[in-house]
Amino acid sequence: MNGVRSKQLLFVLGPLTGLVMFGAVIIVATFLTNREYREPDRAPIAIVDPTPRASGLADEAAAADAAAKAKPYVEAEYRRFPVVGSRVAIWAVAQLHLLFAAFVLAVPIFALIIEVIGYKTGDKRYDRLAHEFSKLLSVSFSLTATFGAFLTFMLIALYPKFTNYLMSVFSPTFLPYVLLFFAEAFFLYTYYYGWGKFHPLVHIALGAGLNLVGTGIMLIANSWLTFMMSPRGISDSGALISLEDAINNYTWMPINVHRIIANVAFGGSVAAAYAAFKFLAADTDEERAHYDWMGYIGNFVAIISFLPLPFAGYWLAKEIYAYSQTLGLTMMGGAFSWLFIIQAVLIGNLFLGANYYLWLGMGRVEGAQPFQRFVKYLLVAIVLCFMIWATPRSIIATVSEIRAMGGSTHPILGFFGVMSAKNTAVNILILTTFMSFLLYRRTGRTATVSWAKTGQAVQLLIFGAAAVFVIFLGVYGYFVEASVRIGLSVPQVSSVLFAMVSISVIDIFLFRRPKLTGEVRWGRIPAISQYVLIFIAVTFTWLMGLMGYVRSGLRQHWHVYGVIRDTSPDAFTPTLGFATQVVSVTVLLFFVLIGFVFWLASLHDRPDFEAGTKAS
Amino acid sequence: MTIPLPARIGLLVVLTTGFYTYVGQLVPQKEVQPPQETAIRADLTTADMVTVGRQIMEGKGLCFTCHTIGKSGVLRFPDLDGVASRAATREPGLSDVEYFAKSIYAPDSFIVPGFNPGMPVINKPPIGLTDQEILCVIAYLQTLGGTATVTLQTSHRYYTAPGAIPPAPPDEKAEPGEKLPLTLPPAQKGETPKAPAAGPTPGKKGEV
Repeated sequence: MNGVRSKQLLFVLGPLTGLVMFGAVIIVATFLTNREYREPDRAPIAIVDPTPRASGLADEAAAADAAAKAKPYVEAEYRRFPVVGSRVAIWAVAQLHLLFAAFVLAVPIFALIIEVIGYKTGDKRYDRLAHEFSKLLSVSFSLTATFGAFLTFMLIALYPKFTNYLMSVFSPTFLPYVLLFFAEAFFLYTYYYGWGKFHPLVHIALGAGLNLVGTGIMLIANSWLTFMMSPRGISDSGALISLEDAINNYTWMPINVHRIIANVAFGGSVAAAYAAFKFLAADTDEERAHYDWMGYIGNFVAIISFLPLPFAGYWLAKEIYAYSQTLGLTMMGGAFSWLFIIQAVLIGNLFLGANYYLWLGMGRVEGAQPFQRFVKYLLVAIVLCFMIWATPRSIIATVSEIRAMGGSTHPILGFFGVMSAKNTAVNILILTTFMSFLLYRRTGRTATVSWAKTGQAVQLLIFGAAAVFVIFLGVYGYFVEASVRIGLSVPQVSSVLFAMVSISVIDIFLFRRPKLTGEVRWGRIPAISQYVLIFIAVTFTWLMGLMGYVRSGLRQHWHVYGVIRDTSPDAFTPTLGFATQVVSVTVLLFFVLIGFVFWLASLHDRPDFEAGTKAS
Repeated sequence: MTIPLPARIGLLVVLTTGFYTYVGQLVPQKEVQPPQETAIRADLTTADMVTVGRQIMEGKGLCFTCHTIGKSGVLRFPDLDGVASRAATREPGLSDVEYFAKSIYAPDSFIVPGFNPGMPVINKPPIGLTDQEILCVIAYLQTLGGTATVTLQTSHRYYTAPGAIPPAPPDEKAEPGEKLPLTLPPAQKGETPKAPAAGPTPGKKGEV
């Protein structure tokens, strides 16, 4: 009863307060107007000379008018963003745009693959899972577009001259970009809202269209940013000679490939984090089972995509060196060399987290104990590789420590700081993680094919041979000249890829119609595994931010490397400490926003307001 | 007391990013400023040029990103200790100054055995050293195992000092080790000496 009265009172008080405030404004305005200086009443100006004050005011107004009319137009080269400066503002907005764009491009790729698996197998769970993934898309798409527009306006406002130059080179690509963007919106919303409304093949075709258009958008945008790093198709002064060359510059295709793989890995990890969030918030065993499975699939997508990523990175680095040795050396031996130690910590954590999740996951399968005894060996291998990879070439030390070591390089640890050791470590790390996957695949089932023992022996042989070959080349690298040593990374990478592909092919045939020895109890996994999934997602996001910084920061004081110089106050390269702070703030902002996306997506499952009121 | 789920997840996200930020503070912190233009006064002595040359190599030239002085073992690029004594005899027919100039203006035309091509073109963007700055660098290099002799009036096949006799244009087809013409054609009065093209443009691999 009291509540109703209060509402009635508020209903009356609201307009009353408005009226009082309106009256107060009138009174204050009248008070101020009454005290304004006014010219005394005089005869018309033609008869009486104006007062000195009046003529002074008239002169001032005339001078101001003349000055305004004579003001020359000066084209601004830069404008300053308040407090944080233009570079940091652009950096944060661009990073947020790219993170959401990566997510929006990645999710349709694996949602489509899962949908196709569901269609082929007739298993409705896959269809439901793919739909669940796509729930995250629509809001993320809006945020991507919003940040894209924000970035464009910021570039025009803060870096007008440089933006104008980029437009002069790439303006023919803008119309296709916009048209593709419209097509992306069409496919995305039709794909999402049309779930279950069309024939499955029509829906799959919509998903394929969404992926094709999304990739097209990314390829165009990549041409702009890679041109800034490795410009081509222009004269010495920057005039456009060939748009085709400007698009297809040295780093365009490596970045395209690197980004597609990295986007899928990142998207998988964020989708797995969503599943983890839903798992932890689940009320029933059924929900837990579903989200455990979803988290597993998301993480599987992330890690499987992550394994070839270092190889795509090698290619990109190779092309950077091929374009400009200076750029390559700035990256690996100059201002950014220590950044790769931070990267090693991140990637080491990713491998540790991914393996730990798999090992925890073995617990949900009955009869997994025989495989769990291998975990300790895998852990030792991963930790050793991690330590080698994170060992810097030269160590930060005091003068006395440097004297004791006989130089800035440690007499023993210094051997682990060179590329021979690091290439070996990362390749063994990849092989070890692949082994974890193989062990996980074996839990709860036994191969029944007649050649099972031979097949497993061959797999073990290939794995062992690849590991020995990689280590042999790593050690051999210490005894040969630089010109030979650089080439050794190719056979190392090739042998690991060969091992992964050949063992996987054998595994597929080996486990056709296996004998099931234990049931997979989805949802029966410790809660800490879900926090590991979130940790992996945060690490992936942070890694994306860090590597985005090195790709862009590599140009140092150039907007377009070697062509358009950055003469703004932000032209310097900041310390790595500062860069990591900016990356962290951006990552936190991203997780606040993606948390909002998760929350919106989870509203689907809630009962509607009316039903909830009636139930209560 | 149970911490609500969003708070637990938020804490994990904050702690993880905090940890990586902390790692970022542990590595050496260096702010790299854009290279400053070094003022080369016309009255610089050879000794002054050595000092300026060292500064350029440490800064704008980015030389020590790759090269070392007095380091042995596994190296990606040649160590410069004693380079002056090697430069005079590295290529038959080339003086130390000519050899240094060739290494800087056309770095891929001769590769030290055991190393890969990797030296960028120094007199074009993004590094873009001027001819005078390169003379200073040569002066400093001459002190690494020898004595500096160059002045701002020194000419070589890639640069003609103001008022000096312009040298013959570089023979780009010359094979490594081929003897260069030691006699120079006389300059025409009023002719502006022209610096010859220097090496490949970025991205194009030069002939070794």
